[in-house]
This record gives sequence, structure tokens and C-alpha cells, in this order.
Amino acid sequence: MLISLNWLKKYVDIDVSDDELVRLIGSRLVEVEGVIDETHKYDKIYAVKVVSAEKIPDTHLSLCAIDDGGRETDIIRDKDGNIQVMCGAPNVHAGMMAAWVAPGAIVPASVHDDAPFVIGMRKMLKKYDSYGMLAGADELDFGGDHLGIAELDPKVAKPGMPLADIYELNDIILDIENKSLTHRPDTFGVIGFAREVAGILGKEFKTPEWLFETKPSFKNEDVELDIEIADKKLCPRYTALVMMPHGEFEDKYLTLERTYLCKSGMRPVSPIVDLTNYLMLLSGQPTHAFDYDKFLAVGKAKTPKILVRAAKDGEKLTLLDDREVELNSNDIVITSNDIPVALAGAMGGKNTEIDENTKRIILESATFSLFNLRKTQMNHGIFSEAITRFTKGQPAGQTLPVALKFAEEAKALKAVALFDSQKKAPEPIVVTISLEKMVGLLGKKFTAEETKTILENVNFDVTINGDKINCTVPYWRTDIHIAEDIYEEIGRLSGFDNIDPILPLHGTSESSPRFVLKSRIREFLSARGANEALTYSFVNGELLNKVKQDEKNSYKIVNSISPDLQYIRQSIAPSLLNKAYMNIRAGYKQFAMFEFNQVYRKSFGLDEQKVPNGRHELSILFINSDSKCEYYQAKHYLEALLQNLNIDFEIRKFESEADKSNAYYEPKRSASVYAGDKLIGYLGEVKNSILQGFKLPQGTACFELALDCLVELQSDTPAKRPRFSQYPFVERDITLTVAGKQDYQAVEKALKDVLEAKDLIYSVKPVSIYQAEGQDTKNLSFRVSFADANKTLAKEAIQAIMKELETVKF
Amino acid sequence: MPSVVENKIAELKAQLKALNQEYAKIKDIPAEERGDFGRKLNEKKQKLNAEIAAAEAEALEVSVEPLDITAPCDINGEMPKFLTADNGSKHPLMTELDRVISIYQSMGFDIVESQQLDDEYHMFDSLNFAKEHPARDNFDTFRTEEGFIPPAHTSTMQNRILRAYKYKLDEGKNIAVAVPGRVYRNEDQDATHEHTFYQCEGVYVSKTCTLGNMLGILREFFEKYYNQKLNIRTQPGFFPFTEPSLEFMIEKPASLVGKSGEYLEMLGCGMIHPNVLKEAGINPDEYCGFAWGGGIDRLVMLKRKLTDVRYFESAKLDFLKELSC
Repeated sequence: MLISLNWLKKYVDIDVSDDELVRLIGSRLVEVEGVIDETHKYDKIYAVKVVSAEKIPDTHLSLCAIDDGGRETDIIRDKDGNIQVMCGAPNVHAGMMAAWVAPGAIVPASVHDDAPFVIGMRKMLKKYDSYGMLAGADELDFGGDHLGIAELDPKVAKPGMPLADIYELNDIILDIENKSLTHRPDTFGVIGFAREVAGILGKEFKTPEWLFETKPSFKNEDVELDIEIADKKLCPRYTALVMMPHGEFEDKYLTLERTYLCKSGMRPVSPIVDLTNYLMLLSGQPTHAFDYDKFLAVGKAKTPKILVRAAKDGEKLTLLDDREVELNSNDIVITSNDIPVALAGAMGGKNTEIDENTKRIILESATFSLFNLRKTQMNHGIFSEAITRFTKGQPAGQTLPVALKFAEEAKALKAVALFDSQKKAPEPIVVTISLEKMVGLLGKKFTAEETKTILENVNFDVTINGDKINCTVPYWRTDIHIAEDIYEEIGRLSGFDNIDPILPLHGTSESSPRFVLKSRIREFLSARGANEALTYSFVNGELLNKVKQDEKNSYKIVNSISPDLQYIRQSIAPSLLNKAYMNIRAGYKQFAMFEFNQVYRKSFGLDEQKVPNGRHELSILFINSDSKCEYYQAKHYLEALLQNLNIDFEIRKFESEADKSNAYYEPKRSASVYAGDKLIGYLGEVKNSILQGFKLPQGTACFELALDCLVELQSDTPAKRPRFSQYPFVERDITLTVAGKQDYQAVEKALKDVLEAKDLIYSVKPVSIYQAEGQDTKNLSFRVSFADANKTLAKEAIQAIMKELETVKF
Repeated sequence: MPSVVENKIAELKAQLKALNQEYAKIKDIPAEERGDFGRKLNEKKQKLNAEIAAAEAEALEVSVEPLDITAPCDINGEMPKFLTADNGSKHPLMTELDRVISIYQSMGFDIVESQQLDDEYHMFDSLNFAKEHPARDNFDTFRTEEGFIPPAHTSTMQNRILRAYKYKLDEGKNIAVAVPGRVYRNEDQDATHEHTFYQCEGVYVSKTCTLGNMLGILREFFEKYYNQKLNIRTQPGFFPFTEPSLEFMIEKPASLVGKSGEYLEMLGCGMIHPNVLKEAGINPDEYCGFAWGGGIDRLVMLKRKLTDVRYFESAKLDFLKELSC
């Protein structure tokens, strides 16, 4: 939203610097996104009188002599002291006042271009010197269609007057970030914004009387018009004005109002439309003019019958921009005798558009449901200044005052009748506040008088009643309902930044075991060369299919950004699989990538509040382009991690999940991980057919663990007490030949059992597993080391132990 | 000896070959029947090809040798070794989140992690959103078929936190909880917008707390975070669940190489709306509170001088290693 500071100053005295004003607005109302300095935009542009204008035969050009009041000093003049300038505009004529862009000035419409257009002296048609340029309204950045040069009103413009002085063009434009003002419809007009600025500066704001006007200055003539509102929720109030022709619109001269329109980012259209826009920029209330006669024709009625209702699904309407839209039951339409003539709040219909033949008009000043209009805005892609204001919920109280102001300002029209759907004005809202509560909430004390002044500055009616204060809310403050709203006003208008920050004292906190654990695992894994990643919670159906997970077990997003993000993932490993190839291509042959996150499956069910149960998971993927078997690498990390967390665990035969969510594991090369009877995760290689789909090397493995199980099981202290011996350890390698199918764990356990039974302090570590080609036996080599806690082991005892180990049964 | 599945593949391939020969017959078919004939052949061929692909996938699994899940290494393989520490990395968002959490903890805040899938009640109803509040529209919030919501802010936890910690108020203590979590917004991605990002929420309730206390806590947090004294500033905001609502800003800290007078918007905050307390069974006449929520991604981007937020969820090793600390 663009706001001209000069326009704003018409309503509020600003006695702080522009920088300070921007800071104050930012800290007490809304962020000022940009400050556009236009204080030099109209330098060296003057009002001039066209003394003579002679057509040059066979061209569209006229050779003009202009009187600049002697303003420019360094310029060649004719014998009468006038300046010669060529002009191609058809409307240039002797005697008119025009805007002259002197040599060296920048054409205002080009100031923001990469290469602003600087006017100089030009030689035209090879023989005529032309100094500067007589400018069209478009070149002055005041819109228009470049049909001629701008004509200035001789009553206000005298030769040599800087254009900027006539139209107050040395201006600063504030660019307001209006998204955070969604609850403040009143600030979407210059008057409302000025009121806030006054409040912020601690000044009393004088709201123009016309915004309280409810009595027309004219009598209703014998005109009939019906207003029917099908649903008050859709349209709380509808005011309509019927106006008849009353002379000609005076739009020959460039007006101040037109400069305001343009500085606010709008463009002139026609006198009636410009007036509705001007009043909208001023008050925040959009209005719309229908051609009265077309309105009757569309409705095939003798008198206008306005019906405001929800559109019917599939109903069609051609809008002013020639677009035919298909409406739905969320849209609100204005109808003439039930035939749609406007998409309420958004855009008028082509069928009742005012044009150069328009004689009588119906002016609509109404307010509509912001919720419906917001959807209308999105559905039909309409982002006009009007709908932007309507979607903030313009107050019902101002439809009538703005309609009456239109009647007063529309000089070429005469109001003959006024109709209003609201028969009786609602009682204003009164909010009672407590000074004690307010200091309790804000942490800063305000006296009753201070409070009263702050609120009265922005036109609340305030009566003090001891500690209690009654605040009558002005009709435009649709956001004020409860005492806290008033406390916010006091804090905000006096400056939240004037409240001292004070640190409260309170108790200690409990640590979050899950975060502590995640942090510990993160340290552990990254210290062992693994990389922590994050990937989206949303995946596509194709990924689920690729890893053989059932789409139906995933929550499906109905309004996803793209099909790639349609489902909530069931586990993390598929996301990591999906990201691995990209990294291999980037040159990483071997890596381990992990992620902690939440996963959701429909099979997890709902909690007691009927919200889906999620599960916190750790997943890690092992890629090695030079290996066809990463199972043992994964197992190595898993064992080390669980040992570090002091969790007793067991690797058991792989089991499939009932919901098939772990169907990507190759069952012949995978395992389930148990702690006691509790299944805490899976470990294994991924199926070859799935790996092919991801272009990943055969043997790629992963493990995943249920984080909340680990939180429960982990401990800072090992279960076993450490044992030491001061006597020497015996270290021997031992190789056992076993059947090819013999599982390693049983052999290892048998060895340990032997040493355990003798109450020795010992370790059994793997050295190698060897199987010669074609053999059905394999050799398991271990490094055993043992010592007695109480004595040095004798040679015979060692031999006996070794013998027992070598012949151990399993 | 070929396995069952290999036999099956051979059989299917033979069928395909036979089918391909059928195509030659097309010239003997009356012209008007050719289209139909060709279509039927194509259908059969597609079906066969799919069966072959499935059988080949099966063959891949059938030929897989089982391994000893209890062994320390593969037969004739090397003993596995950890990768070296210099390969490793921690995600910059996660280490930052840890740091944020530890500062809140040091300030006496309990830590509760946010949900990643929630419902309308927690996301909106319990937070004083009007039934028709625009943010409920599909345009900002994702929804599942069942109407569940991947939360768009960590405030989705407020009602739960207030209920779960209400006992502290009854014991004469305060509620002070920080809620980190992953949140989702339905918006198009670009260098500064992600649909998935991290936030940390703060919730504080006591008998006597004020807006001044909120500013005090927030300033303290950022002073600890940036290890320096900071100037703060606020801007009015609007959230349905706080009244008053503010945007909280800090003067750019020295570590971010700031110009003095340049302010950074860090988070949204405000005094908890009485309706939100009421909804959680806390009497707003007796207690009041404040809450805030801010993005973690942005903290990291500022600190690490990142210009593209999309890297965070990219799982690109180049990025992860470069940004690890």
C-alpha cells in the first residue's frame, strides 16, 4: 500500500523528521517496507503559457512559443522573451497553460527506469531548435493515454510556477507492508492511517465530520429501488444512491485528486470511477457505480431490484475486464432482479458498466463477508485495491457516510434518492478496562488520565469510573472487543518499546531425554564419519511403490504443492535411499548418512485425543560403491552405538512388519534388533530390485531404530561392573573349523561360556572368517585374551584352557 | 540347475517371442479387423512384459545368498571399520536447535518436541482462530484426506503444553516451556521460502508475568545466543492467539557484521489471549502468560551466511560437510 506523506499531512500535523516518523510507524503500527523519495522527481518542470502554436505543414508538429515567466536563465529566447519548443500533441493551442519539462530535467515517468530520460535541446526537422518538452499527463506519471499534453488550470497555474508547488509533488511515498494490517480495515484509508499517526505522535485526531454524516442533504425524489439481502452474513449492509445527470464533468485540467490517485499506485479511468477510487483511498471504503439504465435492462424491470445473494454453482458472469467467470456458491453476487450484475467486492459486470453514454447511475456502498471474498479473490485471481480492502472487513458504519460524500463530490451528478439496508444503527461497543489489570499485563503503569488521552486521541469515548474505565469504541474499529484489545492499544500507541524488559525469576527445568539422546547419538555417529541429513516428511507415491510400502498406509495430503510431496512418509530410510545416488554422482563412493525424524503410518492409529500417533526414528544408510555387502558395516555401527548407550540387545532373524512398511529389507540378509523382548529396530541390506530402482550398489544396507525405545533403555552406566587383574593376560589366536552354515554367534558364545565358567577376566574378538572355494566348512578365527583375577595362570592351566577352547562344542 | 523363477522367465520370454511372430499375421487379417487385432496383441505384449519384469526382479532376490546375521564380517571379507571422523558431519540446523534448546534450558525452560501431524483443534480451534479465519484455508495449511494437519507453526502445541503443565500452576510454580519442532507451510519454494522448516516456540504462564517480562526473557535469550548485549525493538503484529501481539527485533549483532541501527526481525510474540488460557482450563482472571515462536532456519542462514534455504533439506554431502561444525 502506497501512502503519500503530503496527503497524510492534510489530516495530521507531523512534527518529527521523516526518518523518525518511519521508525515510529514501524514500531507502533506497521512495518514501512520502503520509503520512496519523490522530493526531486519534478525538479525543473514548470507551468508555462503557450503563447503561440503554429502547425508545421505536412507534419503533426506545431512550433510553439512558450512563456516560462523567465524562470530558466541559461536558455536562448526569441525577441519577445519566449522559448521555442516543438510539440506533437493535437490539443496544443495558444493561450493554454501546460507543463514544460525544461532542458536538463528528467521525464518523471522514467525516473525509475534503468536509464531515465533526460530532456535537452533537440534539432527537429533539421532546422527547428526545440528546448525541453511540453509534457503529457502520462509523461508526468499521472496516467492517461498519451493523446495530448496535460492542461493546467489557469486559475492556479501561473507561468514559471514549479509544477511541484502547484500539486504538492515534492513528496515522500511510504510503502506499507499491509499483510500485517489484516485486522485493521480502518488503516486502509489515508484518514484512518492519519488517525493512527496522530495517536502515535500523541496528538488528538479530528476525524472529518463527513465520516459521521448519516443524513442526506437532498430529499428522496420519486424514485423506487428495492434492496434485498438474502443472507446478512454475506452482506451486513448495502447502501445505494441513485444519481441523475447534472451538467458536465470538468476533467479538462490535471487535478490534485488525480495526482493522489497516481501517487497511491492507481491510474485514472473516468471521472466517476476516479471519484470512487479517490474516496476509497481516503476512507478505505470501496464503492461501485452501475449504469442505472443498463441495470434496469438486464433485470427487465421497471425499477431497480437489487438482490445480494450467494452465487449459484456454475452461474456465469462476464466481468469488466471481459473475462467470463464461472461462479460457485462461495461467491457473492449483486443481481438485478436475480440476474448477476457484479461479483460483489471483486469486480463489476460488463452488462452494467458505465460508459460515455451513461446518464443515470446507481452507486453501491456496501460491505461483504471478508471470508467469502478471500476465497473469491483466490478462486478468480482478483487482487484489486478494492478487494484488498474488502477482505479486511470494512466496517458497516461507513457505507452511508461514504455514499453521501460521493453525492457531494460528484459535481456533474445529482443525488435523487438514497436507500439503505440498515434501518437502525447498532449500539456502539463499550469495553470496560481495569488499570490494575493493565499494569499486570503490560508491566508498565498508566494513570487514568494518560489512558483517557491515548484513547481519545484516536477517537474513543472514554469515561473514568475509579479504577474502571469505560471505552466506547468508534465504529471503524472492528477489531476491538475485549479489555485486552484496549490494553494492546495503550501499549502500542504509547510504544511497547517504552516498556522496560525485566527478566522474571522462576524455577529450574527438566531436561528433554530425547534431545539429550539425539545429541549423544549425533556426536557418536559423526565422530565415526557419518553424515547427518534432513529430508522432507512428504514423499511421492512413486517412492512408496519403489520401496514396496503401501500407499494406503500413508496419510495423503489433499492440497500438496506437487505430486512429489503427496504422502507423509512411513519411514526415513526410503528418503535416504532416494538421496544417495545424487551423492555418489557427486563423487562420494563411501558414506554413511543418518537422520532423526518423526514418521507416521495409519497403522500406528490415533492417540487419546484422536490425533495420529507418530514415531521418532533414527535411520542410517551405508553406501559403498566398492563393496557388495554392507550388512556388516551397518551391524558394526549398530553394535557400537547400542553398546555406547549401554543397551543390551540381540540380533535375531528378520521379521516382516504386518503393515509391510519394512518390505525393502532383503529378508535373507537382514535382522531384527531386540532389547529383551522388545523389538527396537531393523538392520539389513536392501533388496536388489529396489536398489536397482535407485541406481545404488548391490549390498547397500541400513538400520533403523525406534528412538523412544532407546530413550527408555539407554543408560549412562554399564550393567556389568568392570573387572581388572594385576596378573598377566594370556593372548592367543584360535581357529575353529565349523560347518558352512554354522552361525557365528553360537561359537563365540560357547567360547565365552568356557572362560566365564572358570571365572576368568577375558575378551573374545573376531579375527577372520575364511572359507575356501568349494569347501562346505569354514574357519572362524578369534583372538582370546584372559587372566585370573587372583593369580598368574600356570602354563598347564593355560594349556588346559586352550585345549578346552579348541574342542568346544556348540 | 536353473531355478524355478529362471524357468518361468524362459517360459515367459518364449511366449513373448511367439507373440511377436503373431504380428506378421496382420497382413492376412481383413483391413477392418486389423485395428482390433493389433490392439489385442499390444495388450497381451504389455502384460507379458510386465510379468517378465516382475519375474526378473524376483530372480534377483532368489539368487541372493543368505548371510550369517550374527557374524562380525562377511566370509573371506575384511573386518568392518568405522569411517574416519573427518568424513562425519552434524546437520547445521540440528546443532543450532540443540544450542537454542540448551539456552532455554539454562533459563529454566522445560523442552517438549512438537508434533508433525496434528488436528484442527490444536492447530486452530484451541488458539482462538475464528471458524472462518483465512489461515484455515487450504492456501496456507496442508491437510490430509482425514483433515489432519502437518502443523504450520509450533503453536499447535500450546494447548497441550498448557494442559500438561497446569499442575505446576497448582503447585504455585510457573509454566515455562520451549517447544522446538518441524513445521510446514503450503507455499512455493524459492531461495528464501521452504515448505518445511524448523521453529521454536516458548510458552510462559504465571500469576504475575507481564509484557515487560516477555521482552526481558527474549532479550536475555538473544543476548546469550549472540554472546553480547543487544538493543531490542518491537513492532505491532497480529495473531489470533495473542493480545497484544508483537514482532520482536534485535539490533544486528556484531558477529553478523551489522551496521548499527539495522534491526533483524527474529520472532512473533505476545500475551496469550484469554480464550487460549480458558480453552486449556486455566483461569485468565487469575493467570496470564506470553508466548512466542521463531524460525531456526533463519538463525542458521544469518549465522552461516547462507543465501538459499533449500540446501537444508537437500541431503547434499557437499553442503552437509561444508556446514558442519
